[in-house]
Amino acid sequence: MKPEDLHYAKTHEWVSVAEVAGQKIATVGISAFAVEALTDLVFIELPKVGAQVEAEQPFCEVESVKAVSDVYAPVTGEVIEVNKTLPDKLEILGSDPYNEGWIAKIRITDESNLANLLDFTAYEKQCAEEGH
Amino acid sequence: MRNTRDTQLLFDLSKPGRRAARLPACDVPETAIEDLLPASAVAAAPPALPEVPEPQIIRHYLNLSTLNMSVDTHFYPLGSCTMKYNPKRNERAAAMPGFADLHPLQPAETIQGMLHVLYEMQQYLSEISGLPACSLQPAAGAQGEYAALLVAAAYFRDIGQAAQRRKVLAPDNAHGTNPASAVMAGFNTITVKTRSNGGVDMEDFYKKLDDNIAVFMITNPNTVGIFEPNMREIADAVHAKGGLVYLDGANMNAILGVTRPGDFGADMQHYNPHKTFSGPHGGGGPGAGPICVTEVLAKYLPSPMVVKEEESGVRDQESAGTSSLGRDLTPDSRHLTPKYRLDYNRPHSIGRVRSFFGNVGVLLRAYCYIRTHGPDGLRRVSENAVLNANYLLSKVKHILPVPQGDRCMHEFVASGSKLKAERGVAAMDLAKRLLDFGYHAPTVYFPLTVPEAIMVEPTETESKETLDAFAETLFRITGEDPELLHEAPHTTAISRPDEVQAARNPMLCCRVD
Amino acid sequence: MPYHYNTPEDQREMLDAIGAASIDELFAPIPDALQLKRPLNLPPALSEMELDQHLRQLTALNDHAGTKVCFLGGGSYDHFVPSVCDVIGSRSEFYTSYTPYQAEASQGNLQVMFEYQSLITRLTGLDVANSSLYDGASAAAEAALMALHAGGNRTKVIAPSTLHPEYRQTIATYFENIDAELVTLDCPAGVLDADALAAAIDDRTAAVILQQPNFFGCIEDADRVAAVAKGAGALLVAVFDPISLGLLKRPGDYGANIAVAEGHTLGTPMSYGGPYLGIMACDNSLVRRMPGRIVGETTDRRGKKCYVLTMQTREQHIRRDKATSNVCTNQALFAVRASVYLAQAGPQGLRETANLCLQKTRYLAEQLCQHDRFSQAFDAPTFKEVVIRDAENNVAGLLRDALDAGYLAGLPLGRWYPELSDCFLVAVTEKRTKADIDALVKSLTAKSARQPAHV
Repeated sequence: MKPEDLHYAKTHEWVSVAEVAGQKIATVGISAFAVEALTDLVFIELPKVGAQVEAEQPFCEVESVKAVSDVYAPVTGEVIEVNKTLPDKLEILGSDPYNEGWIAKIRITDESNLANLLDFTAYEKQCAEEGH
Repeated sequence: MRNTRDTQLLFDLSKPGRRAARLPACDVPETAIEDLLPASAVAAAPPALPEVPEPQIIRHYLNLSTLNMSVDTHFYPLGSCTMKYNPKRNERAAAMPGFADLHPLQPAETIQGMLHVLYEMQQYLSEISGLPACSLQPAAGAQGEYAALLVAAAYFRDIGQAAQRRKVLAPDNAHGTNPASAVMAGFNTITVKTRSNGGVDMEDFYKKLDDNIAVFMITNPNTVGIFEPNMREIADAVHAKGGLVYLDGANMNAILGVTRPGDFGADMQHYNPHKTFSGPHGGGGPGAGPICVTEVLAKYLPSPMVVKEEESGVRDQESAGTSSLGRDLTPDSRHLTPKYRLDYNRPHSIGRVRSFFGNVGVLLRAYCYIRTHGPDGLRRVSENAVLNANYLLSKVKHILPVPQGDRCMHEFVASGSKLKAERGVAAMDLAKRLLDFGYHAPTVYFPLTVPEAIMVEPTETESKETLDAFAETLFRITGEDPELLHEAPHTTAISRPDEVQAARNPMLCCRVD
Repeated sequence: MPYHYNTPEDQREMLDAIGAASIDELFAPIPDALQLKRPLNLPPALSEMELDQHLRQLTALNDHAGTKVCFLGGGSYDHFVPSVCDVIGSRSEFYTSYTPYQAEASQGNLQVMFEYQSLITRLTGLDVANSSLYDGASAAAEAALMALHAGGNRTKVIAPSTLHPEYRQTIATYFENIDAELVTLDCPAGVLDADALAAAIDDRTAAVILQQPNFFGCIEDADRVAAVAKGAGALLVAVFDPISLGLLKRPGDYGANIAVAEGHTLGTPMSYGGPYLGIMACDNSLVRRMPGRIVGETTDRRGKKCYVLTMQTREQHIRRDKATSNVCTNQALFAVRASVYLAQAGPQGLRETANLCLQKTRYLAEQLCQHDRFSQAFDAPTFKEVVIRDAENNVAGLLRDALDAGYLAGLPLGRWYPELSDCFLVAVTEKRTKADIDALVKSLTAKSARQPAHV
């Protein structure tokens, strides 16, 4: 996936939504900007498959040496799959955040939050502002 | 001159068949182990401990010890930690067999000297805090916080407000133990903002203060080393809402005999005797965390407490005068009712938070410290701690900005953010480079509210010359080549460790071969 | 002041540099109304010599293990402290240093902590150990909290009454304001009945806490207890006696998930109960829920092997209200002493020490129970402690007489176990000689000089 084709939450998670068998499935990860800002991630606590998550609420944790950061769910739904290879290969969050570095797949149960997501241009603008 | 052979891992120095301990032969008739213990409980072999003779042990640990900085060897201006001199008379006292070889469950009549010390400590700590009741039980400052919050919870339960009072408020520059203790005690924590001088943001405070408050936790003097400007107003407002004020006593070294938490509105406080009263830090512990509370809260304190029997008939040791042998030369009077005893019969008590009485060895050292200083001496401690900190601040402020202003109590927080912006030198770089010059680093990156925080607490047991030299070194370092600083330290046993690797692939013990 | 450098001239110069007229002016930020306008009401200062004399006078009022022969146990024991523990433990670089946050200036402490963790994993047979907690009781409470967090919706922890009463009290305190329940199982036989455990355990049980050897000195059937716990999906928390592991199976060997202990017995004197050493180890799956500091191995920038505090995101100074525990300090100095103790003991020394405890306890029980007045309260085999029943039901008088004769003979059990008010707990460490034991037995079996207590 290319970053230009994704949508973003203000809290730096990316989302790609696909239709599978009539259901909307969101693939979720954290943006390259966020990975860079979090510096040297050392641990990820993945959500549990089957967990109900709510948009804009924490659903996963990433840790650097001296900080813990929440990852917020960009959509509302049920976690149907998690990237089990991630905990042992955290460096892919940095090297390939938008493909190999995906965190979870969420079956969307409430689409109302999708409208709040930013497109790439808007998200880039936000990052540029935060960067100062 | 460094000996790196004997500082290999203990396990690498081991060789089968070597040993240090030699036990006496068994002098009672021996029975085969299999006849005494069930086979299912017995190990096939003892644990795989290293096998080394005594000289190897000494050489290993002594050479390792030289890789540490310590208060006895270096200036240690670690903010928030009060790294003062640890008097040697205290160590001797704690090692006296009459204290060190006491079993914690001995009958009271056999430990009157010990109970005397502990009873007096309860009294002293109450007097210094202005809070009339004291428990010496908690094992550390954090456990003191926790025990005091349980006391508060018990009090609210008793007055029928447990369900209502769920909130513990603490400023954003509080020690992390405050919110962590509050959660363990069953409360929700709410963070209150602070202003750039470190004081509580009163607007935010009033916004968050409501009838659901249980406890407001405050460190005063606070973690940037200023006395909370609105202390009385905060305490009055909390009390008006029916809440209690908890004082984190981490910074008591600034105010001994000058002001008392009970007088400025605290209902509860803990002490860190390993800071304020010179108990050594031991490379991370032990500490102790005695707590003092108001009369209303006294009955909830942990059990047991030392009580003094009021009946006469036992000679008062203090007034009887001392033989120079330090011995009671009069006939043994121990079969009289003990003068001091432990009171376990305290039905409102929260119970206990640990085994036995408390960290008595640490309390004994604190007792020696208080007796050595007396009332005037304790005030001199705080006066010199505050004088030294202000003097060092007056020098450092010309090198690094100190956002809180020109004055402080026992410590201050400088900011390295300008240096970072202009020269790319981080607070951590300064800290590491100071090690090269024989100074332990100040605390960096705490509190989080000051960018590139450099927190300096010189303590009262340092000289003007040391403070001058430290400030000169700091000045010199800020002018050094940033590249040199990024790579510092250069003279220590190791360079900067790879903490990312340590956390990503934890190796927490050495592998068994 | 013996510990201050500042002369009046120093103070003057420093105040001038600050721009303050007096030291009192430095306290001006404290409102006048809040300042204490009188000296603290404390006794006057003592010189070092006076302090020393004062303390000698006070210690003369104490009986201690050097003046009375100590047979007291119950979580604190008169084991021998080798001189190397004192020598290393009084080394300034260890005892006057701070927590090793500046790794480059603390490699000594960090390597010793890493070695301590390694020694504890070998001692317990578990995967990881932290660098220590406050004491055995609070370590047990922390283990219970760990198990609750790991157990999700499970809110119950089961402990038999053979777990140290003060440990159970501590856990109960820790549970008071959170959604957790401590269930105590009575143990009339002096050991936990695995069938009774099986009946009490359910899918809400997060952990079973088993002390081995237990408070009465008895050997529990740890294998069966572990099987019952495992069968119900609960964790097994073992409370062990470090010295006993010279002979007994390690907690990891019988399936414990978390093991905790009081570690003062490894090279630190009894000191009236503290400071002590809380030992904690667990299996790999629980490491991120473990409280307290942990040291890990890594490399420095030049590739040299070194040690550093790690996994700090578990701890209060980073995770604050979401931390695994509020624990901040550890007992590093006593972890140092414990490491030295284990190093000087070695596997054979630990085994011999344990065997001496075992044999002497057995000898004492046999000698005492030859007399009609005394019997062992429980049939289960014991390690270094034994519960003795007094047929005359005068434990208080008996122990008082023994004290007069020079013995701290045992702990009366009625305070914790009303049904055992005719019993006392005797501990025999490797330090007790046959002569000590024979003389104690003689004293306890002598006709009392004193009338039975009016209780």
